[in-house]
Amino acid sequence: MVTIDLSQTEITDANNRIRDCGRDGQDVEIINPDARHNIGVGLVDPITVNVQGSAGYFCGGLSDGAHYEIEHNAGWAVGDNIYSGSVVVGGNAGAIAGVAIRGAEIVVRGNMGSRAGQVMKAGTLCCGGNAAFMAGYMMYGGRIIILGNGAAKVGQDMSAGEIFVGGKIESLGNDTIIVDMEAGERDEIMEFLERYKMSYKGDFTKVVSAGKKLRYANSEPRSRPQPFFVSSNSSNYWNPKVQEDIWIKGEVGRYRIRGYGASKPVPHLNDIAFVKDVTSRQYKSEELQDVNLKTTVGGRYGAKPLSLSMPVMIAPMSFGALSRSVKIALARASRLSGISENTGEGGMLDEQREEADQLIFQCLSGRLGWNVKDMQRADAIEIYISQGAKPGLGGQLMAKKVTPELAAIRGIPQGIDLRSPSRHPDVLGADDLVIKVEEFREATMHKVPLGIKMGAGRVNDDIKIAYKDGFDFVELDGLQGSTGAASTEVLENVGIPTLSAVQEAIDGLQEIDAGDDMDLVMMGGIKDGVDVVKMLALGADCTSVGTSAIIAGGCIACMQCHVGTCPVGIATQDKEHEARYDIDLQSQNMHRYFESLRWQIASITKALGYDDVHKVSRDDLVALTPEAADITGLPLLSEHPVLNRPELGLEVLDRKAG
Amino acid sequence: MCGIAGVLYKQAGDHEIGKTLIEMLDGCQHRGPDSTGFALYGEDKDQLQLRFIVPTETQARQKAVDNIASLLARHGATIESEQSVGCSYQIAVNFEGDLLRFTKDIEEHAKLVSVGHTLDIIKDDGTAHELDSTYQVGEVKGTHGIGHVRLATESAVRPEAAHPFWATGFEDIAIVHNGQITNYWKMRRRLERRGFTFHTDNDSELVAVYLADKLKQGETLDHVLETAIADLDGTFSFLVSTPNEIGYAKDNLAAKPMVLYETDDMIAIASEEVSLNRLFPGQSINSTEPAPGTFQTWSRSI
Repeated sequence: MVTIDLSQTEITDANNRIRDCGRDGQDVEIINPDARHNIGVGLVDPITVNVQGSAGYFCGGLSDGAHYEIEHNAGWAVGDNIYSGSVVVGGNAGAIAGVAIRGAEIVVRGNMGSRAGQVMKAGTLCCGGNAAFMAGYMMYGGRIIILGNGAAKVGQDMSAGEIFVGGKIESLGNDTIIVDMEAGERDEIMEFLERYKMSYKGDFTKVVSAGKKLRYANSEPRSRPQPFFVSSNSSNYWNPKVQEDIWIKGEVGRYRIRGYGASKPVPHLNDIAFVKDVTSRQYKSEELQDVNLKTTVGGRYGAKPLSLSMPVMIAPMSFGALSRSVKIALARASRLSGISENTGEGGMLDEQREEADQLIFQCLSGRLGWNVKDMQRADAIEIYISQGAKPGLGGQLMAKKVTPELAAIRGIPQGIDLRSPSRHPDVLGADDLVIKVEEFREATMHKVPLGIKMGAGRVNDDIKIAYKDGFDFVELDGLQGSTGAASTEVLENVGIPTLSAVQEAIDGLQEIDAGDDMDLVMMGGIKDGVDVVKMLALGADCTSVGTSAIIAGGCIACMQCHVGTCPVGIATQDKEHEARYDIDLQSQNMHRYFESLRWQIASITKALGYDDVHKVSRDDLVALTPEAADITGLPLLSEHPVLNRPELGLEVLDRKAG
Repeated sequence: MCGIAGVLYKQAGDHEIGKTLIEMLDGCQHRGPDSTGFALYGEDKDQLQLRFIVPTETQARQKAVDNIASLLARHGATIESEQSVGCSYQIAVNFEGDLLRFTKDIEEHAKLVSVGHTLDIIKDDGTAHELDSTYQVGEVKGTHGIGHVRLATESAVRPEAAHPFWATGFEDIAIVHNGQITNYWKMRRRLERRGFTFHTDNDSELVAVYLADKLKQGETLDHVLETAIADLDGTFSFLVSTPNEIGYAKDNLAAKPMVLYETDDMIAIASEEVSLNRLFPGQSINSTEPAPGTFQTWSRSI
């Protein structure tokens, strides 16, 4: 038994020692814990950690196989996301005890706070006392046993699993029902209680999902493929597209769902041009080799940054929205071009990990497929707050795509219309996020860069929070960002354009003198190397491409990604459809597309007179429209100080570029 | 987005309220590194104690101080003593009259952050320990106080936007708040129509004014907190202090953390147990987490 005194040891050092003990198979006791956060986070060996006192937030979180005994109280999210192992809390537990567990046993001998077992997938959460409101909120599976009373909204919006309440239930949550216990269930509970030396003689009330809201009442009908340019058509008001939309709404009685992003025209990078006369510059094509495009992302706090061959990443897209084959092809193309791939929501595939040299692992609100082992083999971690296609909403995955294989990796019931939560269970504000960031750092030994993915809404405020909360990088997604499924109202009308987003981000960071240590990755409608250079000139450090990569890899932009029967095998989980996808061919197509970006970025950089793409600046840009000038603060073409004084000539700028 | 803390010693006396709140706020400083503030209740002084935020640059500061002097003269208030420290200018004044009219006029022309005979609000950019070294918060003794650490999310990082907020026009009342009031503008317009003015866009100022308005109408603190939970939308945990009481209110969604610990001698409330545990190092304490939509108040013996 090794003793660690937290009054003498910083939590990071303590967790490193606990991990060492895990490797040696030695148990640990923690003295003077005094409710400190993140005790024992990220442990993947089956030792016992005895906390002699109270623990703070996330005790035992993101672990697999270990056993924790907390002699007194535990703070928020005790046992967060544990795969296997156990946590026993001698006293009370705060909110969201057992959040997102995938198989652990969590026992709270006293009372537990609100939203216990939120988005849990498997395992048992047991409470000797009373559970505060919304116990089992949005749970996907597993078992909650409450020996005392259950406060309001027991089982709110649960998809599956069972909740057994010994005492009174104040009220049931949405879409739940009380059913009789099945034969043997009581014996199983009693066996569990006996193992943890809890005595109980009374009866139980069993609460399960009523199952009325697991599917949309009316499925989104399969409409004719709607080419992007038709959907963007605004030439006449009541055009056939609008008519079809109204007819379908008359049929389904709700909002429409589709893939892709905003299809209406908004001010974008096309409304900006390079200010210099690039044709006057002569250079040999070999010289392009010497232009520095190398980009590192995420080195702010000393983690090993992503090292990209050019300022381009592949945007987060899930296995789920996309087929396994496409995720493999994307990973391969990313390796061939020396850029990074991103898991998106829904877990990491082994093949994807093997193919990609640099892989970002994304954590979403539903914690679908989220686990410590994949965190520790990721090259960067990204907390998803929202995305440009649907700021403020969770993902949607229609039942056709929720196959047994997909349900297994995500830990959810198969065949439901999956509507991911819009909020993280343990991040209800910037203050909670600080502690979450620390938990992720602890789970990855502070070695992995940590990013935040945000849809562009109130960027000026949000970017400051991201900076203060200690992220290494931000992936910021404008209105034009795409998705596999979202309501058209949100796709078209919520959020601000990518161009506004980058400007607000840069302004916001300047307002708090943030310097340039937090990397800004811009996405949402980046279609070529020209856009990449413009974005960097506006102030971004890197860009991210999703839709354009998919189009390079065979997508026909019919926008029916949500249906699940993608004709080219991309946005589908149907094996027959997926078989149409040629991984070798399409990964090469994507790779060549990425190489075209490289050539464009290098050529423009060189033509602007630089040997490094990170030297381009706002001075290289001019706004072509009043809207773009207004958004970015760039000079409008007709008012440009140099362009409108021909007597000065362009040499002025040339000298500046030096 | 913040951390909050409060302590009340039930018996009269010179308790180490400054040191206690510094410890508690240092324990949750991770929740709010931008600014820190204290509302401390010491002895009942004869003169009205006022604290202003003034510029730190010498010339601008003198101008602000001169301006305050002329404002006070306009209302027949005379300065007994003055002290200039950090970003603040503190004075004791002799004043008899309508406090609401007095402070309303002053607040239009100067950044008044604390008003009372027992209350002193000290707030600034920086951490609890940084404020202590500038303002000697640790030396303050009294019976109770509340404190706050702030991570600015929507309004600017400026000393006057830090918490605690005093309840405009009502002396010796302060609040600290963690959360977000989503019906801010609706409630603000309603209060503005009743003649109140707002000096920041910070939703916590709204909570202070809301409470002051109700208290002024003679309602008890308990009743005021009860109506606050019904009237204010959003996610919040807040603490309020009066010359003899502290109390909390927590929203119906329980989205913002709060734990409390009570003994025969004292009550301590904080966003996180780690702050409470600072007062009892090496011990396990039987803290409780208030239920959603609840409030409670505690009084000191007089």
